[in-house]
Amino acid sequence: MEEMISKMKKIAYEDLSTKKVDRVIGFGKGDFIYEANPIFISNLEEVDLLVWDLFCVNNLSKYLINELKNYQKIGIFLKGCDSLGFNQLVKDNKVDPDNVIVYGVPCEGMIDPNKLSKKNLLKDLRYLRRVDEKLIIVTKQGEKELIAKDYEYDKCLKCKHPNPVVYSELLESNTLRNSILTDDFEEVDRIEDMNSEERYEYWSEQFSKCIRCYACRNICPVCSCDKCIFDNLDIGVSGKAKVDSEDQFFHIVRAYHVAGRCVDCGECSRVCPESIAIDKLNRKIIKDITEIYGEYDAGLNPSKSSVLVNYKLEDFDPFETSKGGK
Amino acid sequence: MARIGVFVCWCGSNIAATVDVKEVAKEAAKMSGVVLSTDYQYMCSEIGQNLLRNAIKKEKLDRVVVAACSPRMHEVTFRKAAELAGLNPYLVEIANIREHCSWVHKNKDEATEKAIALVRAAVAKVTLNQELIPGEIGIEKRALVIGGGIAGIQTALDIADAGYMVDVIEKTPSIGGKMAQIDKTFPTLDCSACILTPKMVDASMHPNINLHTYSEVEKVSGYVGNFEVTINKKARSVIIEKCSGCGVCIEKCPSRKTKSEFEEGLVNRKAIYTPFPQAVPNVPVIDREACIKFKTGKCGICKKVCTAEAIDFEQEDTKIIQKYGAIVVSTGYDLIDLAKFGEYAYGEDPDVITSLEFERITNAAGPTAGKLLRPSNNEKPEKVVFIQCVGSRDKTCRGKTYCSKICCMYTAKHAMLIKEKYPDIEVHVFYIDVRTPGKNFDEFQRRAVEEYGVNYIKGMVGKVFPDGDKLRVYGVDALSGDTIEIDADLVVLAAATKAKEDAEELGRKLSISTDTNNFFTEAHPKLRPVETHSAGIYLAGACQGPKDIPETVAQASAAASKAIILLSKSKLINNPCVAKVDETICCGCLECTNICPYEAIASTIIEYRDHGKMIKKLVSEVNEALCQGCGGCTVTCRPGAIDLKGFSNKQILAEVDALCF
Amino acid sequence: MLLESKENLTIDKEEFKPLIVAFCCNWCSYAGADLAGTSRLNYPANIRIIKVPCSCRVNPNFVLRAFQNGADGVVIAGCHPGDCHYSTGNYFARRRLTLFTSLLNYIGIESERLKVDWISAAEANKFATVMNDVLEKVHKLGPNRKLRDVRWKR
Repeated sequence: MEEMISKMKKIAYEDLSTKKVDRVIGFGKGDFIYEANPIFISNLEEVDLLVWDLFCVNNLSKYLINELKNYQKIGIFLKGCDSLGFNQLVKDNKVDPDNVIVYGVPCEGMIDPNKLSKKNLLKDLRYLRRVDEKLIIVTKQGEKELIAKDYEYDKCLKCKHPNPVVYSELLESNTLRNSILTDDFEEVDRIEDMNSEERYEYWSEQFSKCIRCYACRNICPVCSCDKCIFDNLDIGVSGKAKVDSEDQFFHIVRAYHVAGRCVDCGECSRVCPESIAIDKLNRKIIKDITEIYGEYDAGLNPSKSSVLVNYKLEDFDPFETSKGGK
Repeated sequence: MARIGVFVCWCGSNIAATVDVKEVAKEAAKMSGVVLSTDYQYMCSEIGQNLLRNAIKKEKLDRVVVAACSPRMHEVTFRKAAELAGLNPYLVEIANIREHCSWVHKNKDEATEKAIALVRAAVAKVTLNQELIPGEIGIEKRALVIGGGIAGIQTALDIADAGYMVDVIEKTPSIGGKMAQIDKTFPTLDCSACILTPKMVDASMHPNINLHTYSEVEKVSGYVGNFEVTINKKARSVIIEKCSGCGVCIEKCPSRKTKSEFEEGLVNRKAIYTPFPQAVPNVPVIDREACIKFKTGKCGICKKVCTAEAIDFEQEDTKIIQKYGAIVVSTGYDLIDLAKFGEYAYGEDPDVITSLEFERITNAAGPTAGKLLRPSNNEKPEKVVFIQCVGSRDKTCRGKTYCSKICCMYTAKHAMLIKEKYPDIEVHVFYIDVRTPGKNFDEFQRRAVEEYGVNYIKGMVGKVFPDGDKLRVYGVDALSGDTIEIDADLVVLAAATKAKEDAEELGRKLSISTDTNNFFTEAHPKLRPVETHSAGIYLAGACQGPKDIPETVAQASAAASKAIILLSKSKLINNPCVAKVDETICCGCLECTNICPYEAIASTIIEYRDHGKMIKKLVSEVNEALCQGCGGCTVTCRPGAIDLKGFSNKQILAEVDALCF
Repeated sequence: MLLESKENLTIDKEEFKPLIVAFCCNWCSYAGADLAGTSRLNYPANIRIIKVPCSCRVNPNFVLRAFQNGADGVVIAGCHPGDCHYSTGNYFARRRLTLFTSLLNYIGIESERLKVDWISAAEANKFATVMNDVLEKVHKLGPNRKLRDVRWKR
């Protein structure tokens, strides 16, 4: 951790002072120990605010859109999952990769404060660090050794890309983690196993919690339209009334709009103030695509067209009944 | 507020018997924006159209709904009528209350209720209709013919005679196609080459025709009137302009291991070769796969013996990019692979041959100089068995479900040709049915039976069993039920015809569709038999389905005349129902460009002022001349920046809302 | 309006009359529906057709709107893959709708309520068969209340 932080500071300092970049986007410490926030640095003296710890879960890639409006060249720290989002932004022509220096940061998996909180470990937390598969935490009561996996974000437990898939410079680390290659979609299966009434009930309850704050959309690196269809009442597709049908409409269409493009970074669910299982919609589509069209590779290659703007003659056809009819 | 007129047609009793038209008109009058609602017996009649025109003028209607038959029937009629009254034709919508209502429902209450709903949807849609003005596009006065068989040659000659430039692309080194391989033609028994060769020469000499032999279509872009085609001219290794066609190079070429495609593999050809003596152009080509010089670097005899210095080993494929107004596809057919028909011992015994191989054997210019000899021992056969429908009318996955159409007639011809030359040879024909529709066709087939004594057996052959020198043919006479065994010397299989292997690929390049058998699909099986669904692309010959020569030639001339009609126009009118981009909403992801089948969407950079700052923005841009209006891009567009004129998001949503009223 | 007055007249007020909105492509399925008419085939009057140029023009938004506003079932019909008038439109539609129908099913909408099929201009029989089939299945399921906008009257 400390080693990584000094590497980060060194490269940010170097590139800012040599004018290689005029802005750096990285992580800074929040108000609480279990909080890391995005910080935006132009002055050399601010470089010292950079941190790297077990709470740097934020996907910073989307901040590039706005920052590039005011800065020429930006250095950004990206984890594996963030780098997939970066590639999608490049693909959607939202970010010109020539104007960005990606500092790739290998990630060991991030710790979910909610999971700590459930075990009453958040209160009086003073220090925490990871040693391989162990999590050492120090509270008022003293030091405790835990199993790291029990406190990682769900998405980190299934991480396919702990290392960045694209970078200008890789900040190497000796705590490399292996990617988990098989995704069992177990949480999607659980919903699929319900009958349609149960499924509808489940999702109605989820969607009815929605307050239409659009945090899920705003954090999403593939929801990058200048003017979202849900902010464009003139288009007449859907309004913003607080009725179930419009919330359902929003969530279904949001999921469809990221179909084949979602990089499964899980940020939408993480930022949802109502804890709606948004990622279970995204992951259902990812599961379908994997099963029907082969390996899901959104974010891996910015020059490859996504599943829905592509086709094969021999694509699986769930609809063909028969020619001719009775 | 819109001023909409609704006109409900009775269509005599076709609509009025099942739909209460008065009630429909009464309900329509209550709909928002409707200022006039009336009904009439036949809206499409002159009186009906006058009613419409007068009402537009008198009531100052700015939109019209006609509730009548399918828009596929009379939308054009009513739009024209509206235009005559000064209304933009795209402000007219049709509610289909005949095909989709009165003709499919029996209960009058239910049908009336549905008719009202359909009118409500049309009213809701037309309220949002906007004036559309079609654009005009110019036409490149040049045609492309793909395939240089008899269909392509005829098409090219006709278009060239009308005064337009024509390019013909032929994949093989010579034009001529299958007809050049055939000996005699039915039902007149005149010599195929004698009637084809002059046409081949005409095509090569015609000042308006350019032949690109040994060439293929690589890429097609553009649209009706303005296609842009990239042609790949394969390296011939012989300079056409220099070659005198003396043939010495062929004579001296030491490579003789390649089966001759033209002779259906019955004999070998050299590595440098012209496919047949009357080839056009009469310029050889080097088969680089077979050529010793290209394989080992040693040899080059052809170059040494060529006094014209026409041999060029360094020649490379060249690309030609050319614009065309119209394209005719005439790529022809092939015979199916008989590997799946093991029971006939084809490929196993050399004396089992296909009908096309028989054409070569019986042809005076063929490998046996026209003598009927068994390929195995070069001896005259005593008994010949023809088997019909090998893979045709076959419901198993081995063959084709369709009738190949030409086999009954050419088999009768083959039988007659044998009997003519060798009355002593016994000829048997196994058939399912004999199909002889066509001028003088039945008379021809009967002559084979009655005058020449060809033995026709209704029934299929179960097995051909090579037995020493003989071929034992086991069949069943379906009429008597007897099993039949013939010890034949030669067996000729009427293998089914099939579409060219690369038809689907070419179809994709041209954006024209193929049917389940990979034949190109015509726009309408009866009324538009030589057009495709892609405007400006026409079909000629067997690439559209099995055909004999007269039909092919007739279709070729028909396709030519369609192309000529197009080329003779000064301008084309566009379909105005095309996609448009709202630049203020477009987010520049360009996903839409990936799915457009016409490459009608490109990107552009716009500049606009935002808070005193000039901002550059990448957006999509639709080429209205290329767009055909499928609307696929509109669904790809997440923010809804692309919409389709005439079928806009709002219009369709309004229809949904109205139907759910 | 007629609908209401008719409802008053019917003896059995509970009788369920499903509403099916069908999006048909202009070149194949709409023409197939026309041929069903010309051939005087029968299917129930509850099927209401909207003409679109191609199955690839059907936006999932339209389907959701139909369910919101009272449709008990939705049909999307296009040319058979390979026969698209625009050559590739229905290949894209096939992928989109494969994922979208699966997603709606996952949300809890019975799969019988959203039917996608390929119906050519010649398949009048198939058109009628598919429509009768959809109607029968939707009838069995009963009125759709899912995704329904409570503010809409139907």
